[in-house]
Amino acid sequence: MNKELRRKKRYQAEKRFQVYGIIAISLALFFVGLLVFKVFSEGTSAFSRTMIKVPITFNAEKLGITNINDNDEVENADYYTLVYEQFVKNYPYSNDEEEKQIIKLLSPDYEFEAKNYFLQNRNQLNKTVTLLFTASDDFDQLHKGNFPRDIPEERRRLSNYQLNIYDQFLKEGKIEKIFNNYLFSKGDSRDPELAGFGGAILGSLFTILICLLISFPIALSAAVYLEEFAPKNKLTDLIEININNLAAVPSIVFGLLGLGVLLNVFELPRSTALVGGITLSLMTLPRIIIPARASLKAVPPSIREGALAVGASKVQTVFHHVVPLAMPGTLSGTIIGLAQALGETAPLLLIGMVAFVVELPGSPMDPSASLPVQVYLWSESAERGFVEKTSATIMMLLGFLIVMNSLAVYARQKFEKKWN
Amino acid sequence: MELENKREAKVISKNIDVFYGDKQALFGIDLEIYKNEVTALIGPSGCGKSTFLRCINRMNDVIDICKITGEIEIDNFNIYKPDVDVVRLREKVGMVFQKPNPFPKSIYDNIAYGPSIHGIAKDKNEMDQIVETSLQKAALWNEVKDRLHEPGTGLSGGQQQRLCIARAISINPEIILMDEPCSALDPIATAKIEELIDSLKTSFTIVIVTHSMSQAARVSQRTGFFHLGKLIEMGETEKIFKNPNNTMTQDYITGRFG
Repeated sequence: MNKELRRKKRYQAEKRFQVYGIIAISLALFFVGLLVFKVFSEGTSAFSRTMIKVPITFNAEKLGITNINDNDEVENADYYTLVYEQFVKNYPYSNDEEEKQIIKLLSPDYEFEAKNYFLQNRNQLNKTVTLLFTASDDFDQLHKGNFPRDIPEERRRLSNYQLNIYDQFLKEGKIEKIFNNYLFSKGDSRDPELAGFGGAILGSLFTILICLLISFPIALSAAVYLEEFAPKNKLTDLIEININNLAAVPSIVFGLLGLGVLLNVFELPRSTALVGGITLSLMTLPRIIIPARASLKAVPPSIREGALAVGASKVQTVFHHVVPLAMPGTLSGTIIGLAQALGETAPLLLIGMVAFVVELPGSPMDPSASLPVQVYLWSESAERGFVEKTSATIMMLLGFLIVMNSLAVYARQKFEKKWN
Repeated sequence: MELENKREAKVISKNIDVFYGDKQALFGIDLEIYKNEVTALIGPSGCGKSTFLRCINRMNDVIDICKITGEIEIDNFNIYKPDVDVVRLREKVGMVFQKPNPFPKSIYDNIAYGPSIHGIAKDKNEMDQIVETSLQKAALWNEVKDRLHEPGTGLSGGQQQRLCIARAISINPEIILMDEPCSALDPIATAKIEELIDSLKTSFTIVIVTHSMSQAARVSQRTGFFHLGKLIEMGETEKIFKNPNNTMTQDYITGRFG
């Protein structure tokens, strides 16, 4: 009877444990789902851009162009006044204030949008074409449904007058939503509708590339030396402990190091991917050394013995057999280390990669932002347009991380060889 | 001993002591191993027979805490002299391990690795030739000739062990050490390896450590019995198995301990 009872209890304990496990996993999945849902629901609208259709006549007289083949003249023509005058005509206004409110519906970039179009279509001189102009942030958000219209006028960013214009434009079919290529091709901007994370992506890529180029060879050499060649004594024990400690050092400390040494002592250029990459590689080094050593340790001694027994030297044994076998683990450790570096913000803030950079970086020596810093920068901005862009940047960052982690899994499976 | 002097001693061990840290594993081992013969080393687990085997190609060097004193002469040359090149030594003294340990590479590359690092083959043709003869000598050629570029780890256990033997003979050593080469194999594979050992002794001097007394009796000409780090008795296999001098040997052989 007692035995029966104990067995029953054992089964119950097993069931209970399974239920705990399922609850834990469901909770974890719920929170991940919540995060993803929040990011996606806020961020997807950033991938589209609201445009306003405006018929524009490239009047030679207004532009001040006398010779269409004179590049200088076409470059420096007055597109600002041209678009301004023809745009405000689209809606009746009675005073300067209303006129200002009309033109504020367009993004300040309209001058360049008209110019860029005309530079490629010079035959349109004195002809009328319907052009798509980027709408201002407020107009964009209104069209995306992110601005409630039913609150009092003084608390709205758009006046009743502007709302009326929107309604009329909508009725006339003058509003169109297109894919937001600016998001990928532009750098930061004060105007949310013109801001993109192109610069941040390039900055992140340069940073990670530099980080990889510096940390991988150093970490691999260190791991191979420590694991295969170094004598086992107090000194190497101390080094091992310190490497493990280094992996746990808060990343901002590495930022301080980068600031103190790379910027102040070596006077490397501030805010650049070069300095960011070097700083992050300091942080990544121990995070690659540890998995690399673990994979070297996991290579069975029988393989080493086999190589030594046919007369391979120690170095040949290590580089012909042990290191190739340890590669899958080392590579996936490296990729995961780089993925962590990709998401790192604090050290980059300290070395000045938090600057407002409009230009896309052409090389690691140019000032640039990086994806996590861009998230940080935009999340501080009040405009509704930056809120959706913050989420879009997070989506981008998550996308990169997923790609990198899948690469790590792929590297492990593809290059892993079986041994006995 | 007088009788045996007609044969040529290939390996002579003189007063070999081995220490693992503070623990002494071998006590003053003196023995001779004759050329082109199979010498079996038997004894219960932990008696030091494998340790002694690994002294002959200085495989114990890789163990940090292992200290060896005494001399082992191969062709009258002490391999424990300080300036001995272990790479050259291991070229001359090949080894096959307890568990088959082919490299995770193709069958071809497994064999070609040794010759390539020693620069034995001048070109691809010569290498092909070495791979073929090595595999033939190891009685594996017919089974693998159509899949030389498949991984060596995909072979059966017995085939893998013969691949390891082929790998050992690819660099044309003079001595082959075998550390319980059949302990991980089934009886059929074991029989094949034993047959192979018998045929190899015409070209190589073979030292085999084995747990199986019947195996020692079948393949070896001479047998040494180790117990607790000491060489208790060494002599002609027939004599050791039929009429040993030492009662301990007698007891072990008849299965009273071990």
